[in-house]
Amino acid sequence: MSRNRFNFLHNSELELRRDAYGFALRPQHIQGYREYAGIYKEEEEERTQKWKNFLENQELAQLRSTKEKYKETLQANSTEFEEETVRDKNSEGNKAEASELKRTTFSEKGSEGNEAEASELKDETVSVSGSQVDEAQDTRWKADLSERSGRSNVPEGTRETVPERGREGEKAEVTELKEETLSERGKKGDDSSRKSDSDGSKELSPQKEQLSEETKTEKVQPWAQIRPSLGTIEHMMNFRVKKRKVMKGEQITKSGDHLPSIDEARSSGGESDEDIKEKVCVTVTSYGSVNGLDDKGSQEDEVSPEPYFPWKEELESLVHGGVPKDLRGELWQAFVGVKARRTERYYQDLLAQEINADESKEHDNSFGVPRKWKKQIEKDIPRTFPAHPALNEDGRDSLRRLLLAYALHNPSVGYCQAMNFFAGLLLLLMPEENAFWTFVGIIDDYFDGYYTEEMIEAQVDQLVFEELIRERFPKLVHHLDYLGVQVTWISGPWFLSIFVNILPWESVLRVWDVLLYEGNRVMLFRTALALMELYGPALVTTKDAGDAITLLQSLAGSTFDSSQLVFTACMGYLTVTEARLQELREKHRPAVLLVVEERSKGGRVWKDPNGLATKLYSFKHDPELLIEENKGTEGSDDALADGDLSYKEPAANLDNMLSGLSVNSELEGRDLQEQVVWLKVELCSLLEEKRSAVLRAEELETALMEMVKQDNRRQLSARIEQLEQEVAELQQSLADKREQESAMIQVLMKVEQEQRITEDARRNAEQDARAQRYAVNVLEEKYEKAMASVAQMEKRAVMAESMLEATLQYESGQAKAVSSPRAVHNQSSVDSPKRRIGLFGLAWRDRNKGKPSNLEGSSDRKSTN
Amino acid sequence: MGCSGSVPARSSGQSGGLNNLENAGSSDAKNLRVKLVLLGDSGVGKSCIVLRFVRGQFDPTSKVTVGASFLSQTIALQDSTTVKFEIWDTAGQERYAALAPLYYRGAAVAVVVYDITSPDSFNKAQYWVKELQKHGSPDIVMALVGNKADLHEKREVPAQDGIEYAEKNGMFFIETSAKTADNINQLFEEIAKRLPRPSPSS
Ligand SMILES: Nc1nc2c(ncn2[C@@H]2O[C@H](COP(=O)(O)OP(=O)(O)O)[C@@H](O)[C@H]2O)c(=O)[nH]1
Ligand SMILES: [Mg+2]
Repeated sequence: MSRNRFNFLHNSELELRRDAYGFALRPQHIQGYREYAGIYKEEEEERTQKWKNFLENQELAQLRSTKEKYKETLQANSTEFEEETVRDKNSEGNKAEASELKRTTFSEKGSEGNEAEASELKDETVSVSGSQVDEAQDTRWKADLSERSGRSNVPEGTRETVPERGREGEKAEVTELKEETLSERGKKGDDSSRKSDSDGSKELSPQKEQLSEETKTEKVQPWAQIRPSLGTIEHMMNFRVKKRKVMKGEQITKSGDHLPSIDEARSSGGESDEDIKEKVCVTVTSYGSVNGLDDKGSQEDEVSPEPYFPWKEELESLVHGGVPKDLRGELWQAFVGVKARRTERYYQDLLAQEINADESKEHDNSFGVPRKWKKQIEKDIPRTFPAHPALNEDGRDSLRRLLLAYALHNPSVGYCQAMNFFAGLLLLLMPEENAFWTFVGIIDDYFDGYYTEEMIEAQVDQLVFEELIRERFPKLVHHLDYLGVQVTWISGPWFLSIFVNILPWESVLRVWDVLLYEGNRVMLFRTALALMELYGPALVTTKDAGDAITLLQSLAGSTFDSSQLVFTACMGYLTVTEARLQELREKHRPAVLLVVEERSKGGRVWKDPNGLATKLYSFKHDPELLIEENKGTEGSDDALADGDLSYKEPAANLDNMLSGLSVNSELEGRDLQEQVVWLKVELCSLLEEKRSAVLRAEELETALMEMVKQDNRRQLSARIEQLEQEVAELQQSLADKREQESAMIQVLMKVEQEQRITEDARRNAEQDARAQRYAVNVLEEKYEKAMASVAQMEKRAVMAESMLEATLQYESGQAKAVSSPRAVHNQSSVDSPKRRIGLFGLAWRDRNKGKPSNLEGSSDRKSTN
Repeated sequence: MGCSGSVPARSSGQSGGLNNLENAGSSDAKNLRVKLVLLGDSGVGKSCIVLRFVRGQFDPTSKVTVGASFLSQTIALQDSTTVKFEIWDTAGQERYAALAPLYYRGAAVAVVVYDITSPDSFNKAQYWVKELQKHGSPDIVMALVGNKADLHEKREVPAQDGIEYAEKNGMFFIETSAKTADNINQLFEEIAKRLPRPSPSS
């Protein structure tokens, strides 16, 4: 497992919840991370090899082209470090030869790359031999590095980190530092050898080491030179820094805040400490900035055509493939051009100033960092990569110092949330002062105007991104519009955090690799567009705003395939260039400025038709309206002019002032002229040598560009086809679904109708049944009545029968008793009805004879009871 | 004040109208969807409140919020309606206020949070209330929340101050603790009860 290489992660429980960089994994991402850990490891091995080859080839080329020139220096160097390196050679044995070669290379580069030397030279007391010793040691260290065979050589590692860390100038100091660090690191043994361990693990642990070891003693990590094998890359990037500074120095930028200028920086070169201190105060009050810049650099820019670097394309593709872990800290510094930015002792002076201010309790005066930033920094330090193993108490002290120093350095930014994460990240990769200068480069330069009080450029970029995304993914945006989701809700935090805490760490670092290499914010846009491309198809399936946002957040958070992301970003959006972005920024900036101005006046921002919100809204509803609005804004430029002036004027003044300063400093720096001229001559000859290479390379470049273009075109059209196909499929399935739906509806309707009919029928039947039941009841009643009357009739019939019988018996009795039956018969026939009645009455009485007695008996019983 | 605020707010409400429409449109009388935004000074515990409400956890080492972050949570009320909260948790630092309108525009609910141990944060809360009255939707439901109620021994803002201010501004007031989970669910339930219901349709 790749993580096993990090000694602070020996705890396997920790390992489960943290990635290879020591960052906590969200529970839902642990599985995803595990799946990719193996891939990361393979990729890392591959890129380590590639970079190794690249750097070695570069050195060889350098060696060949410049060997002759510096033979003398070389010899001097060699003798010096021969002594120094004996031990190494002995212990390293088989590496001796390689070391020899590397050493040679270095000393050439040292004088050719000359940045290093220039900074040395500038230092008043530095002796030539001193710097050469440094170089020699650097070389030795590097030699060991590129060998990377024996990993168990703890003592070497320990020693080898020394010159890097102790490069403060004077030889004595170096030795002192060396001893100190030696003893410190000696204790730590294995950990500290990591610097020389190219096997991918060195950054974090030594960093942690350094943080804990050195902050404890109230000592800030000394500036550390990056390994010489990266010198040529650094050299190239330094050109960019200088060029940009020159440009900025001449240009009046609209945003008006913070204009690092070469002139300013130049003035700092030859100054004494006190001057610098004064200057810092000036900086604080004058809203400017002091950007470190070696004298050498500032002189060089006068010869400023950027030399052609034939290996630039190769380097670029290597960067796209990712930077090896163990080179990352130093390569980032090289990319940012820290060397060209740095001013010796500047960082220490800022810290001293802050401490003094703190002691004198004058927080809110112009000395020291304003209280509101301090408070915010204090709040945020424990909330920066909480529980990261390297951000222990000492790590947090470093973080605090760096942020406070920056707030002093550039008061137009001060402290802004998000910066804590960047500083934290850099501190994990490099020594404190190096981290400071890298940080300065990123915030002052790459993200100029982003984290300032008004965050103008951050807002402008969101408008630009909104336009780009509308242009690239109209359907996705349409869907999001439909759901009521604004892309900028999501992309805003992406941009502001430069994807820290948004993407998995491997991806964050890969994006930063490219971003820092390119020297601008293009990669920010490309990555965001790539994420939209990757996750857009999933997004269009969402049904409400919440689901869409949640989905996009969680998909972004699980973008473990960092190579796919970087590739998609870099190859898919080649037309998103810095030039294009600048154009779009110019277009959108006025609207933002207007809103900011309104806001600061406390006006009703949202009412304004040119307001940001309205602008975003109109984007959504009518792109043409936007164009009109822009015209409108252009028209109202006059109205804006006042506001603009307020930005421009101080900037112009500042600039004039600074250029004035620079003239002075040039005079002051005259004692350095000789060195400079010498270096310039060297540079010219180098340039000449390179010219032929340039021609050859240009041909190659055009050929390559052509190939790349075709390749991209093919890829793009393939993707478009694919997308179109997908869309067609989706549409087809949608149509199918619709058909099915309507069929279903028809069926449903029929069923419903039938149901209704049967329902009616049932109701009718029920009614009938009820009626019949009623009839039955009636009949039953009738039947019962009839039965009752039948029974009565029967009784009567029985009675009649018995009466008849009785009558018959009586008549037969009479007939026996009367002599003349005829007369009696007649008489009786007349009387008979009466008798019958009488008889009948008697009989009736007889029949009921028992009943009254019964009744009486019962009543008796009742009474007795 | 309601009047002066409503004019610009309405125009902004229109920009966010799509959201409102969408929010109201797809939610029926029984299933509401609400956009809610949390505002307040940095460090008062906004992120912790959301995490407590959504995930039921309290992480004492929460991360600084950069820009804003989103979470959603659905609750069921006693009358068997459900309310889906779409929660935007914003960054607290002053300068991020420039981006806040992006998030509170079109929000049906604003929860303004302060820390009962910090009078500064209470002042900041009042700033946000004013801002919302000026630029928020006119019919926005606002809640004032005094968080970190568990730190009563360090209290510097009396509950009465919160109650009075809330009353004056027609807000719902509650004191919560993301740490102990006190009143967190109640906060959201009370908000849910106060939401204007869409007129029931067939
Ligand atoms: N004691 C206590 N601490 C809390 C509470 N809520 C948040 N915190 C702490 O306050 C700090 C800031 O919280 P966070 O949510 O990041 O603040 P936000 O900037 O408003 O998002 C964190 O360190 C939390 O541990 C609470 O209810 N009680
Ligand atoms: Mg937060």
